[in-house]
Amino acid sequence: MTGLTLGAFPHFIYQPIWVTVMFIAMIIWRIMAIRHMWPLPTKRLSSLKVLHLSIAGIAFLLLFISYGNLIGRDAGVALLTVMLGLKVVEIRNHRDYYISCFLGYFLVVTNFFYSQNIPTALLMFVVVVIMTASLISLNDGKKSLSNKGLIKLASQMLLQAIPLMLLLFVLFPRIPGPLWGLPQDAHSGTTGIDDSMTLGKISQLILSDEIAFRVKFDGNIPSPSQLYWRGAVLWQTDGTTWTELNNRNLMSSRPTFTTRGDEYAYITTLEPHNKRWLFALDFPSEQPSTPSSHYTYDGQLRSIKPINQRQQVRLKSHTQYRLNPNKDDYIDAALKLPEGMHPLTKQLAQLWSKQTTDPMQLVDKALTYFNQNAFYYTLRPPTLIGDTIDSFLFESRRGFCEHYAASFTVLMRAAGVPARIVTGYLGGEINPVDDFLVVRQRDAHAWVEVWVQGQGWLRVDPTSAVSRQRIEQGMSSIMPEGFNTPLFMANSRNLIDLWQQIRNNWDALDNAWNQGVLAYGPELQKEFLQKLGMTKPDWQTMALWLAIGFAVISLIISFYLFYHLPKRDPVAKLYYVFCKKAARAGFVRPKQQGPLDFSILLKQQFPHLNKQIDHITSLYIDLHYGKKSALISDLDRAIKRFKFTPTRT
Amino acid sequence: MTQYFSQLYQKINTFRGRRVFIVPTRFGFIYGGFLILILLGAINYSNSLGHILCFLLASMGWVAMHHSYRNVAKVELINGYADPVYAGQAIHFNLVFENRSHSISYQILLASKQTKSQSWNLFKRWGGFEHDYIIARLNSVEKTTVNYRIPSSRRGYQLLGQLRVSSQFPLGLYNTWSYFNSDAKALIYPMAQGELPLPKSSDYGDQITDPNQKGNDDFSGLNNYRSGDPLRAIAWKALARDDVLRIKQFTGYQGGQLMLSWNDVVELAGTEARLSQLCKWVLQADEAGLDYGLSLPNTSIKYGHGDSHRHHCLTALALYQNE
Repeated sequence: MTGLTLGAFPHFIYQPIWVTVMFIAMIIWRIMAIRHMWPLPTKRLSSLKVLHLSIAGIAFLLLFISYGNLIGRDAGVALLTVMLGLKVVEIRNHRDYYISCFLGYFLVVTNFFYSQNIPTALLMFVVVVIMTASLISLNDGKKSLSNKGLIKLASQMLLQAIPLMLLLFVLFPRIPGPLWGLPQDAHSGTTGIDDSMTLGKISQLILSDEIAFRVKFDGNIPSPSQLYWRGAVLWQTDGTTWTELNNRNLMSSRPTFTTRGDEYAYITTLEPHNKRWLFALDFPSEQPSTPSSHYTYDGQLRSIKPINQRQQVRLKSHTQYRLNPNKDDYIDAALKLPEGMHPLTKQLAQLWSKQTTDPMQLVDKALTYFNQNAFYYTLRPPTLIGDTIDSFLFESRRGFCEHYAASFTVLMRAAGVPARIVTGYLGGEINPVDDFLVVRQRDAHAWVEVWVQGQGWLRVDPTSAVSRQRIEQGMSSIMPEGFNTPLFMANSRNLIDLWQQIRNNWDALDNAWNQGVLAYGPELQKEFLQKLGMTKPDWQTMALWLAIGFAVISLIISFYLFYHLPKRDPVAKLYYVFCKKAARAGFVRPKQQGPLDFSILLKQQFPHLNKQIDHITSLYIDLHYGKKSALISDLDRAIKRFKFTPTRT
Repeated sequence: MTQYFSQLYQKINTFRGRRVFIVPTRFGFIYGGFLILILLGAINYSNSLGHILCFLLASMGWVAMHHSYRNVAKVELINGYADPVYAGQAIHFNLVFENRSHSISYQILLASKQTKSQSWNLFKRWGGFEHDYIIARLNSVEKTTVNYRIPSSRRGYQLLGQLRVSSQFPLGLYNTWSYFNSDAKALIYPMAQGELPLPKSSDYGDQITDPNQKGNDDFSGLNNYRSGDPLRAIAWKALARDDVLRIKQFTGYQGGQLMLSWNDVVELAGTEARLSQLCKWVLQADEAGLDYGLSLPNTSIKYGHGDSHRHHCLTALALYQNE
């Protein structure tokens, strides 16, 4: 029962509160029945039976109301929890017991849909031990094992099972999923960049400390101000919300681009975000081999399938590039502005465009405008009233990357320069423990690209005109010191550093777990087995090695179970230490020689040690052959202190 | 030809030692089904921890198999004996088990089958076991005597027969069992019943009758106790006085010689009823402290008294035409 509760525990966090309450109430009912003889619903106590049934009925009704149906991940898990709770009260015979045990295992599995981190895994082991112990107690009808004994035996079995488990994990041929359709909500609840941008949306992400992806560079790492991780490209706007250009042709055709300068090769491990972007370093020069992906005309690198599980992508990028330098088919879309909106902004832009028509100069003008006026970079911008762009540019002047990107784009378009917004991530932190660059949700960013004939799309980051720090030192420099540190630690510099160190170590461990264990699928298995020296890791070879491994481990287990080494007598062990000391001094005890004879021999050689040798010998004889009146600790002390010092001459 | 093969089979068996069978129980199969479900789920969602849990549980099942085997394989039946009982009473077999492994064996289930069937059909050999008894634990490297009760059937020798030692410990996923063909046997006396009164001693002419020694209750003195003397003759008062066990001697005793004869019970229908009556008489005579003998058509036992004499007589009755 403890096992069941522990197994269900993680679910309490995201389940409706009444499911939790019901489950715990049922468990308490059962415990009370065992401890205090509370009645349970049986045939005889029909009123309780009715109560039990009506609880069940209400629970199912509530489930149906809150989820709409009973199929799907969340509803399914809640249903399982409810059923298990109801079953616990009903357990009467062996069969019920087994079924609730197996349901409990199922509940553990369903945990993994929500989280697969290390604590969950450890919890799983604990639950398995407890469930095993309860199965053992079920089969120990006369209760000849104590609770401690049960847990001990169960843990022993678990430890013996672990090598086999590892073998299976490594060698069991992995089949790429899914085998059948997943429920709609299978991957909900993931955070990340969206395919549209409404002012104020990214700043919610900024407060999230979740990891978006991790990057391992093969060689050198570009400077932080170059770490633009490219996500969505937003063209269209209705004045407040920016969206992608929904054009099939644009989405499926390849841009023309040239790259220059250093090539950066790296492996990105994307956390599931349920969208298609691979967040390549701006700009990816090659398509990755896995997952299958494609370029879009506006320079996105998109996976064919949504990234709904952790995914490794091997990528190559150049930070210097030209994108569609001579011609862009969709240039009109990059000039469109909604009719009759942002009058003040348009006015300002038209003023500039009268002064110059050179796009670069117009960009400079806008950047200078941001820089010279009292614009502030803040995570908590005031709510904008009325025309968002106008009120931001001329009234509040407090905003975030998305405010700057949006208003800059409007300015450019109004001035006649093709411009679009790119969202993604900027920067990231190197974890010194494993040298992975960790990009978190709070590194989400939005910037602008303007198109210049002959140079193509050029990246302009208006945020840099306001806050250079954000661009060059990353998000954490913007955050107040001690951000994400527990409150009690936030006052001391040392504690903050310590906390950071712990976090780094934990992140590295978590990363190793993700990279090695959770990402272990068909591809990684192949790779790993090839590294182990298997030339052709197909399922036949795996099955063969699996069989061999199984045989070997089974042999070891049976050997362990059947042939225990006889326990050595502690007294004999101590005396053996003494003999070894003597042997080191040059006197090996012949096997057939008794301890007394040996002591006489030793005393002849070391007359000054007479007393000690006699003491040890008499203690040993007493403990080993005699009345056992002496204490083993005395012998232990005497032998440990004893040294065969050479004779003083 | 068949003989050749059966000899070969036995040869192989002696080489292999005692065979231990192990088969998954119903729950074992359900467990397997659950594992497959979990595996399918894990594959479908490409869930690594799901794989791990599935593999862990599978390995646990595998390890449980070894534990289950270990629990039974090293349990040996060393010896078995039982005191005689009367037909209809339960036989208490004292079975001595030795657990030769270095760990404790738990929850060993004993069951026995009286008739040995050597059918070629293995399934048939598995059935027919009854009289379950659970040994909660057998300590490691130790001998344990177990009191195993089976009902007695009819008089004569009753073999313990084939004994099945099985266990589902630890997880109940496997049933492990092994057979012992014990030659332990119990002697079953006939049931002591019958309505006929105990024949009078005087009915027999060969009795020495002395008019001075009529009454059984005439106290004649104290003798030292010999094993076999009836308990109710013990002089408890004398014992309290000087701690020496003596029995009271009554004058009636010496003359109480009684031959229990088959001829006296011929009026009863059937051999069993006659033997039962004789059995009851033996017990009555023993109780009364008489010197009695037994005369059966094929054997006769001379006068005597005491436990071993009674056992001798009852054995003769038990084995009458039944050897």
